[in-house]
Amino acid sequence: MFLLDGHLVARREVARRMFVLSLDAPQIANSVRAGQFVNLGWSPGPLLRRPFSVYRTDGDRIEVILKAVGVGTAQLLAMMPGETISCLGPLGHGFDLSPGPTSVALVSGGLGVAPMPLAAREARAAGMSVTWVHGARTAEELCTEADADEVIWATDDGSQGFAGTAVAAVPDADLVIACGPNRMLAAVASRWPDAQVAVETYMGCGTGVCLGCAVPLERGGYDRACKEGPVYRAADIQWAMLPSHLPYAISA
Amino acid sequence: MTIGLSVELGGLKLRGPVLAASGTFGYGTEVPLLERRALAAMVSKGIFLRPRDGTPPPRIVETPSGMLNAIGLQGPGVEALIRDYAPQWAVWDFPVLVNINGETAAEYGELAARLDGVPGIAGLEVNISCPNVEQGGLFFGNDPRAAAAVTEAVRKHTDLPVWVKLTPMVTDIGVIARACEAAGADAICAINTFVGMSIDLNSRQPRLSFRTGGLSGPAIRPLAVHLAHQAARAVTIPVVGIGGIMCADDALEFLIAGCAAVQVGTATFANPCAIAEVNDGIAAFLASHGFASLSDLPRYLPRD
Repeated sequence: MFLLDGHLVARREVARRMFVLSLDAPQIANSVRAGQFVNLGWSPGPLLRRPFSVYRTDGDRIEVILKAVGVGTAQLLAMMPGETISCLGPLGHGFDLSPGPTSVALVSGGLGVAPMPLAAREARAAGMSVTWVHGARTAEELCTEADADEVIWATDDGSQGFAGTAVAAVPDADLVIACGPNRMLAAVASRWPDAQVAVETYMGCGTGVCLGCAVPLERGGYDRACKEGPVYRAADIQWAMLPSHLPYAISA
Repeated sequence: MTIGLSVELGGLKLRGPVLAASGTFGYGTEVPLLERRALAAMVSKGIFLRPRDGTPPPRIVETPSGMLNAIGLQGPGVEALIRDYAPQWAVWDFPVLVNINGETAAEYGELAARLDGVPGIAGLEVNISCPNVEQGGLFFGNDPRAAAAVTEAVRKHTDLPVWVKLTPMVTDIGVIARACEAAGADAICAINTFVGMSIDLNSRQPRLSFRTGGLSGPAIRPLAVHLAHQAARAVTIPVVGIGGIMCADDALEFLIAGCAAVQVGTATFANPCAIAEVNDGIAAFLASHGFASLSDLPRYLPRD
């Protein structure tokens, strides 16, 4: 876990109102694993940091992906190259992509694409063939960047690729990795109980002390998305207890 | 010039005036050694006799200059705390106080008896002010007789320093503080969170599953400075100021308003180094204003 001042290097748009920020954060870039996240703070900004999965790394840089939805994201998107963003990370436990499976399906909905590029890189290094399944409501909301042997797009309105959800479009694979809205992950859990899913929750500290990011477990009780998670075996989560009526938590 | 920051407070000798507030530092074992250097003492996450699951999510929501939380005192129970954490605390170079909670005065007494003499536990912070439990909590904190009864039950069962953490949700905090002092408290901690509520417009539901939560952060700081000051004027035992401290200047407000020390809480969530920065900032302020030690800092504490 490192706490450092990262500098904004670049920004690019990858879907309608969806952006990738590139930050100079060497220690984090060199140690982060797929599925881990960083807790970012900026000024002027919200009181609490906001968690972002690390999207990609490139040398000493990390990338995060966000959607322009609120005051916080507007502040981030208004920043100029060279400005400082405080980075705490890498945090949490990432995906287990050790060698064994021969194929993996990376299934994402919307901003759930966030941990997938790193997952693709680690899966390929472990000898797996990678299928990328990414869904959104409509074609212009699809994140246009993909990194896989096979790419499958899915849109709710059928404007690009498979007409329907990303989950419904997933082909056979030894291993399923998924990230997206809780409702989508609940569907993943009922179809592939052993899938590895990265959950989104409200988060306070990101370091395990505040107990704000409680994840309800099937075996009873809660643990912390920031410490034991954010990656879980899909069937281990009590999905009905996770709030589904709240807006996406990682969108500041 | 080295600035003297040590304080003697409520039965403990501390190396500085900045403590970690309960519920914002876990059991002190979660975060790497980042900011312990300047930590005067840690107050552990609140504990009950028995394990508790806590409340369902969502448990926290950010509000203007603050946050609401309803964690519900999730914890492993006192036996696990003694087994898993106290031995680690015993070798640390700063004291750890345990924040204790019960549904009855007798349960507080039982906890005090169980924790008395356990190596690694330097004191008790009696929480009669948690807004996020169904039984106990605030109930004891807003009635002087109940507050005194809990304090007395704890005092009777331990030789450890007994600090009592008060709720701001009262008409006159001085009355409660005096009742605790008379019942044997060694120090007063003021304040715990305010009860608040936030509504999600799209679902027309409260944002927290518990409906309400405790408001903390800079939003409550002027209220907290006033209440800590009121408490300090009402008692002769020391008062530890708590409420929205983000930086050294905030802490100095509490110290000048009559507090012997302060606890930093929510700030640690945003900045894991907050406690060290507050501590160092206090030293820098004292130095730049010509004070050799914290005890030389003039207090604004007119007596009634």
